Amino acid sequence: MKKVILLLMMALVIGACDDGFDELNVNPTRAPQIAAANKLTAVQKFISSQRYDNWRAGLIYQSTMMQHIATTAGYWDGDKYTWNRGYASSLIDRYYGNAIKTIEDLKFQLDNEEAPEEMKAIVRILRVFAFSRLTDLYGDVPYSEAGKAVLEGIFLPKYDQQSEIYPDMLKELEESAAALGSGTSGFGAADVMYGGDQAKWKKLANSLMLRLGFRLIKVDPAASQAWVTKAIAGGVMTSNDDIFYLQHDSNNRNGISEVFAADGNPRMAKTFIDFFQNGNDPRLPILAARRGDGSTAPADLLGFPNGLNNAMLLDMTGEENTDNYAEPNRAILAGFEAPMVFQTYAEVEFMLAEANVRWSIGGDAATHYNNGVTAAMKQLTLWSADAAIEDGAIATYLANNPYDAANALEQINTQYWAATFLNEYESFANWRRTGFPVLVPVNFPGNETGGTIPRRLTYNQNESAVNAANYEAALSNQGPDILTTRVWWDVQ
Amino acid sequence: MNKQILNFLTLVSLLFFQGMVAQNSTVSGLVSDPSGVPLPGVNVVEKGTSNGTSTDFDGNYSIKVGNNATLVFSSLGYESKDVSVNGQSTINATLAEDASQLDEVVVTALGIRKSTKALGYSLTEVGGEEIATIKTPNAINSLQGKIAGVSISQNATGAAGSSRVVIRGSSSLSGGNQPLYVVDGIPISNGNNGSASLWGGSDGGDGISSLNPDDIESISVLKGGAASALYGSRAAGGVIIVTTKSGKGQEGFGVEVSSQVTFDRVDTSLQDYQTDYGQGLLGAKPSTATGASEAGFNSWGPAFDGSSVPQWDGESRPYSYTGNNMDRFYRTGTTFINTVALTDAKEDLTYRFSVSDLTNEDVLPNAGFNRKSISLNTTAVLGKRLTQQVNAKYIIEKVKNRPRLSDSPGNANFSVGLLPGNLNVNDMLPATDENGAERQFTDNVFTTNPYFAAFNFNNEDQRNRIIASTSLRYEFTDWLSLTGRVGIDNDVIRRTGVTPFGTGFSPLGGINESEIRTNQVDADIILAADKDITDKFAISALFGANSNHIKNETLRLGGGEFIVQGLEDIGNTVQQSRSRSLSERKIGAIYGSVELSYDRWAYVTFTGRNDWFSTLSFPGKETPNDDFYPSVNASLVLSDAFEMPAFIDFLKLRGGYSEVAGGAQNAYQLGLTYGIFGNPLQGQPTGRISNGSVPNANLVAFSKNETEIGLDLRMFNNRLSFDLAYYNNETTNDIVNVATSGSSGYGGASANLGKVSNEGFELLVSGTPIRTENFSWNVSLNGAYNEGLVVATDDVDSDVNLDEPRTRNVRITHQVGERYGTIVGVSYERDASGVIKYDIDSEGVPRAVEGERKTLGEGVAPITLGFTNSFRYKNFNLNMLIDGKFGGQIFSGTNTLLYGRGLHKNTLEGRETGLVVSGIDAATDLPFTTTVAPENLQSYWGRISNIAEEFVEDSDYIKFRQISIGYTLPQKALENVFLTNVNVSLIASNLFYISRSIDNIDPESAYNVGNSQGLEYFGVPSSRNYGMSVSLKF
Repeated sequence: MKKVILLLMMALVIGACDDGFDELNVNPTRAPQIAAANKLTAVQKFISSQRYDNWRAGLIYQSTMMQHIATTAGYWDGDKYTWNRGYASSLIDRYYGNAIKTIEDLKFQLDNEEAPEEMKAIVRILRVFAFSRLTDLYGDVPYSEAGKAVLEGIFLPKYDQQSEIYPDMLKELEESAAALGSGTSGFGAADVMYGGDQAKWKKLANSLMLRLGFRLIKVDPAASQAWVTKAIAGGVMTSNDDIFYLQHDSNNRNGISEVFAADGNPRMAKTFIDFFQNGNDPRLPILAARRGDGSTAPADLLGFPNGLNNAMLLDMTGEENTDNYAEPNRAILAGFEAPMVFQTYAEVEFMLAEANVRWSIGGDAATHYNNGVTAAMKQLTLWSADAAIEDGAIATYLANNPYDAANALEQINTQYWAATFLNEYESFANWRRTGFPVLVPVNFPGNETGGTIPRRLTYNQNESAVNAANYEAALSNQGPDILTTRVWWDVQ
Repeated sequence: MNKQILNFLTLVSLLFFQGMVAQNSTVSGLVSDPSGVPLPGVNVVEKGTSNGTSTDFDGNYSIKVGNNATLVFSSLGYESKDVSVNGQSTINATLAEDASQLDEVVVTALGIRKSTKALGYSLTEVGGEEIATIKTPNAINSLQGKIAGVSISQNATGAAGSSRVVIRGSSSLSGGNQPLYVVDGIPISNGNNGSASLWGGSDGGDGISSLNPDDIESISVLKGGAASALYGSRAAGGVIIVTTKSGKGQEGFGVEVSSQVTFDRVDTSLQDYQTDYGQGLLGAKPSTATGASEAGFNSWGPAFDGSSVPQWDGESRPYSYTGNNMDRFYRTGTTFINTVALTDAKEDLTYRFSVSDLTNEDVLPNAGFNRKSISLNTTAVLGKRLTQQVNAKYIIEKVKNRPRLSDSPGNANFSVGLLPGNLNVNDMLPATDENGAERQFTDNVFTTNPYFAAFNFNNEDQRNRIIASTSLRYEFTDWLSLTGRVGIDNDVIRRTGVTPFGTGFSPLGGINESEIRTNQVDADIILAADKDITDKFAISALFGANSNHIKNETLRLGGGEFIVQGLEDIGNTVQQSRSRSLSERKIGAIYGSVELSYDRWAYVTFTGRNDWFSTLSFPGKETPNDDFYPSVNASLVLSDAFEMPAFIDFLKLRGGYSEVAGGAQNAYQLGLTYGIFGNPLQGQPTGRISNGSVPNANLVAFSKNETEIGLDLRMFNNRLSFDLAYYNNETTNDIVNVATSGSSGYGGASANLGKVSNEGFELLVSGTPIRTENFSWNVSLNGAYNEGLVVATDDVDSDVNLDEPRTRNVRITHQVGERYGTIVGVSYERDASGVIKYDIDSEGVPRAVEGERKTLGEGVAPITLGFTNSFRYKNFNLNMLIDGKFGGQIFSGTNTLLYGRGLHKNTLEGRETGLVVSGIDAATDLPFTTTVAPENLQSYWGRISNIAEEFVEDSDYIKFRQISIGYTLPQKALENVFLTNVNVSLIASNLFYISRSIDNIDPESAYNVGNSQGLEYFGVPSSRNYGMSVSLKF
């Protein structure tokens, strides 16, 4: 009898060996799927990204290479053309795992759910924007196979050549613009950039087409003209209400503002301050303030030379107290709820001016120039009501700095450079495209570039080990993975 | 003294020690072996009673017995002897060796005690006294250097840190490789509760460190698969069985008190920095405070000249060497370990109750920990056939300021370790300015004033842990029993971490509050039979079932940016976040074992176990969620089977084959899931895929097959013995995180594609060169060689990437065809004949070209050695341990930065007259020779510091690990006091390196206990420990 009981007990135990295991291994803190709208908001946040890459790729490298910002701090490598690979690859490091991964997943979900075309179009436009940042900064990048480890089992994406990425991005923009109509998309308020307004997305698709079309100017002028013409015909941004930006909030802070909160090193570059002072620019006291006391009186705003360490600064200027120099005006710019701007109406106007100069299309260049400068000054109210510039001050500025047909491309693109302060990705790309403004390179001892301004940033160092074959293929197409290699559209 | 008081006290003590009252005469004496050597631990029992004692270390005993009693002397390995008392007060006994019983009984899997004769595998048991002689806060560290094939490494983080214990090499590429710990029959959690990474952080301590060293009766290390097969999947890394003291073997009531104090001092002799050149850049001294801050850690100034030079705080000080900053900054650490234990053994009830306190003050100022533990073990005979055991431990551990390691933020070791010679760390006091903000001494906010790091950062853990188990054993007959056992390990860690207001890199500070709960419930039911079938044939068998359930839950509150300065509370923050993570998993199993023996010299054992894993279960999954593990092992005692030459006492051959394995160690790996994260943006929730790694719905268990053979030989009256083992194992279907490109969107992908093999030898030689009545010398040498090879990773032989240090130019990587955990990093670019190539910059400075990433070494040393000597002279004993590791390499982040910052001695060359460099000009491929001007050396060495190849060096060492000198009071001296044993020892550990192949760092320094071994980056410098211990019994 005892043995029977024992055997029964054993049998019970054995029978129960994996009872309920299937359910136990389902994570109760996670969901099998979520609404597309929640992913869209996440994508928009990921595109603005975090302090990490805004600090490293955005400010440490590009803002200093573009001589908006300067500092003697040794780790601000862009100021001195030195090479920190981890900093250089920071956009890659953050964008693929966040923005790209979520975009591809969202796109798949919308296709699967047979969502309306306009919703898909919005995601496609964001996808093009994200990839355009990546390819403009690095050149050949994983594009067609990126972010698809789960969707398509691609663990080691190939690097698409930029010459192939660009036509596809432009095609995507064209198709997306065509798919957008009027009214509100199904994303509704989850679209924290445009509130689901289809017309604004359509203008954005065409405005980005204008931007990317112009990028081809050196490598394929005919294609450039064709895309610019098509973009203008499709309808681009028409006012500062159309600006493509993300309004941050106190729980989702602006990454650039977080840099200013954490890092006291950046100063306004002498090149940038000189530009404002030479033009008697009303933006100067809004964008800059003296580090030591916050004074915004133009006479107090001393620009900081690029490419120096402290000893060299002392040698050169006799003033080595860095508190006596101007820094980005924290009162206006450093709020955690500041906007992160990706494309502005002002930029669009400057591009229209350039289109008119080059090909006599799109209307009068002088008008577009004036509209661009006006929009660039007025857009600062996105940061703060205190940043409002009166119409009279703008008129005075335009009177003193009128459109100069003889020197139009330099003038327009120098204004473009001033208008893209803090959107350093765009500043750097447009400078490479046009060569304007004319920046005098620095030559810090031991720099990586032989005293020339870098032409791109470098890939994540792990790729040479993990994704070696594709990485090597990119290098053999594009050139060595160094700061001076030019991307496809940036031909000499 | 007043006689009445004395009488009263006598009465009280008589009442108290009532067990002693009934006796009427005292017999004492010496027990020795035929050659006159005293025998410790011999049981001396009054025949027919439970009254008894055992001999002390010197073979002396003393017992109160009736005048007509008979004493029985017995000891394992000796023939027992009866002696009538007949009124004698001194009885000396000589015990003859019992050749047939030249054998010990050890604890094996499931707590089963077995004769070593029957073991077909390698098992090493270490007695509690070895752990108690020199107590380490984490008792498992006491095994270091003592067991062949067991490699122990500790994090460079002070006394409360984690240890990595690996037996016979790592067998899983990505999974855990540490052994299963079983305490009094119950598996306990040994999770690592946080570790530093390339971005810094601190070690969070581990699970095994909770045990009080004074409570340990023995530790059995089951090295091979055959030994541990009965534990199934959790035993892929071997099993360590800890048995805590129970009062068994004790006679009557007793009290034990033990105390140990040790003093720890940072061993600054390890560092050998240059002391001739001070703070500066490009050969120039700073001329202002700002310039000094910018120069920071750079020692690229000119030679010291005593001139007055401004420093970071605006003060000008002599430009000369100020002495060793480590000596100034680190304090003398202290560790006190005190235990009081009460034991009693009666017919029906045996118990041991102990209370222990460990108080540590770390060498890092303001850091330390306290551990209190209470332990109660009882065995009760409930009926004729029913026995119950209850083991319970309650542990309260409080840790203050676990040191930050690795990257610089908050890491005092980084700041102190890199200070230029003309800076005095004490000038950084006070650590805060008048506003309470950190006084920063460099312009990089991510380096922290070391005093601010030590005194203003505030990190505390409190751990409350209960480990308890109970078992009931019912004996149906004398050969058949049923045992039920259930145990629980409930561990709750409450942790607070504060980055204070005013921190350089976080001006407003922040706070994290977390609660980490781990609960493990394990239950077994075992039916065991043990029967002699004939005179010669015997069978011993068991069948059982097991259920194991582990639940981890972490609640975390984060607060960024304090509002009110100085109020370090989660409510006083602007940015608040909270999270909960959960992981729950179960394993169900049935198992059985059959041992057949013939004539007590031939044994064969078969085991089998089937495990079911919740972590491999998923709705709709097509692949199995279970796996079966068989094993067989055999032992032949040739010395019993055949006539052997007289000098051979014992000769055994053993061999075994086993399969053990593991399921996925983490729950929820099989499916893609989504989560809402962060805070809503403009009121809109944000959601995303929550998997960082590509899930795989078809994961199955991995398996590890091992073959082991061994030999056990003892000769010359046990004066010389050898234990040899050879093993060979292969892990297949290992679950690996296949490397993916970051651009795939994921950090890796799980797959059953890994294959690892390990092959090795273990050797233990021990001998007693001298054994006389007054003097003996025991010596033992253990050595092990293990070759771990990565056989496969995935179908295209991808590398499996583990950790990288903050320099990010090197990484621990599993590469197919290479050793487990190779160090792969940036190498020099060389021409065909191996000459280094250089870029010559516009100023003519040659700069070494960074070549591709190459295999630069292996992070795990394949050879380990331990050498112990113990001497006994009368009542004195002297024990020494020397250990070493060989054949491995280490990447030194410290030396990398010492080069880059000009603090390494090798950067001295050419500081005055220039450094002659020759090599190949990369631009022309032609040889060149040039002199690098002194002011350009910073740039020259700066470039070299990017090249990991320069900083991967052999990690070989031989260390004088331990020495203790003890004195045991003679029995005679205790005759008239109530004490029965008094021992006093002077102890010291980590004395010095006899040899070491890398400069400036401790070759054992590490900042994590995971699979990425071989990386060093600014841990707490290692210490020497000196102290004293006392143990009393009464």
